[in-house]
Amino acid sequence: MNPFLALVKRDLTLGLRRKSQIYQPLVFQLLVVTMFPLGLGSGAKTLALIAPAVIWILALLASLLTLDQIFKNDYDDGSVESYVLTSYPLPLSVMAKVLAHWLLTGLPLVLFSPIIAVLLHLPSSSYGVLMLSLLIGTPIFSFMGSIGSALTMSLKHGGLLLTILVMPLLTPVLIFGASAVVESSLGNSATQPLLLLSGLLVLSFTLVPFASAAAIKINLE
Amino acid sequence: MPLIKATDIACQRGHHLLFEPVSFELSLGQSLLISGPNGIGKTTLLESIAGLRTIQQGVIHFNDIELSKNKDNWFDQSFFIGHRTGNKKELNCLENLRSFLQIQGIQISEQQAEDALQAVGLAGYEYQFAGSLSAGQKKRLALARLTLIDFPVWILDEPFVNLDVEGCDWLLGILKQHMDNNGLLIITAHDNREIQELVSHKLLLESSL
Repeated sequence: MNPFLALVKRDLTLGLRRKSQIYQPLVFQLLVVTMFPLGLGSGAKTLALIAPAVIWILALLASLLTLDQIFKNDYDDGSVESYVLTSYPLPLSVMAKVLAHWLLTGLPLVLFSPIIAVLLHLPSSSYGVLMLSLLIGTPIFSFMGSIGSALTMSLKHGGLLLTILVMPLLTPVLIFGASAVVESSLGNSATQPLLLLSGLLVLSFTLVPFASAAAIKINLE
Repeated sequence: MPLIKATDIACQRGHHLLFEPVSFELSLGQSLLISGPNGIGKTTLLESIAGLRTIQQGVIHFNDIELSKNKDNWFDQSFFIGHRTGNKKELNCLENLRSFLQIQGIQISEQQAEDALQAVGLAGYEYQFAGSLSAGQKKRLALARLTLIDFPVWILDEPFVNLDVEGCDWLLGILKQHMDNNGLLIITAHDNREIQELVSHKLLLESSL
């Protein structure tokens, strides 16, 4: 097994044993979304209007819950050394960590999104675009989050700092993601925002691993 | 020609040097014991040599090439075990041993891993989660990696800490074996007298203040 797959496999095993990393974001989403009809006190029309924004903001916040875990545990127990002190390129190991994180937290968000959409009366014709936009957008959360996680891994309570660092990087994702769903719920084509979102994914896929690798090295100094 | 040649290396914390710059030369089959009082920077020095940190002053040559330009080669031939063991508490002993080495590109069969656990006295703990082991057992689990690798350079930071008498004897045994197999060893050890007799070179870090 090559180092990339070994790291993905190890992180998936850890995630499936810890479990809270998987269900915490989903439970959080469900709890918050049930508050909206109660707080707004208005009918399905208003809910459908705000649904795209709410779903995307919830996805963003739910992702933020687990981002600090990407590197923090490895730093605390020293297993970060297993992929730093090797000739296998660190950016590739970062990609493996991000992939595992996305499979454990991002993918469940994508699969769970129709349930949230139903609760917010999003027109069912938009479900496809919603899931597609989340499928493109949530890996960007994991990628960008890996920079923040790598920068804050040596801090005891780095969660808030991580949020402040990563939030600005994620606002374009939120803008294009939510607008894709808005366009489709209005019956328009969502191609343009989806393409822009894909562009962001390519950008983070190619550049972020290097940034995270550099941040890990800084933190080990 | 020495395999490792360190010239006037020093480590910094903040803006001041931790210890007086040190130099040493080591060839295969030789070993170096680094000692000094607490807080003098032994761990920092070892981590710098291992490649976790950058060396802030001085230069290390490996195979006559500067270490910073020869990192991949260095990582393929050196193995570091620090004071953090690198064990995952949610994985059992077998999984810990195998995944750690696989991530470094070293293939280990389940049988080999079981044999290694037996060698360090963890037979019967194969499927126990590392989180439920005692401190000494966790250390043994980390040290079990040494029996599965064939890297010529070993860098060990306080490997005797937490080990019982039996564990210390086992560790001394494999260190001796490593030296006999023409291996190179860089080690810090506080309170072990027998290691003092085993090593060929000693280095005492002195405060630069």
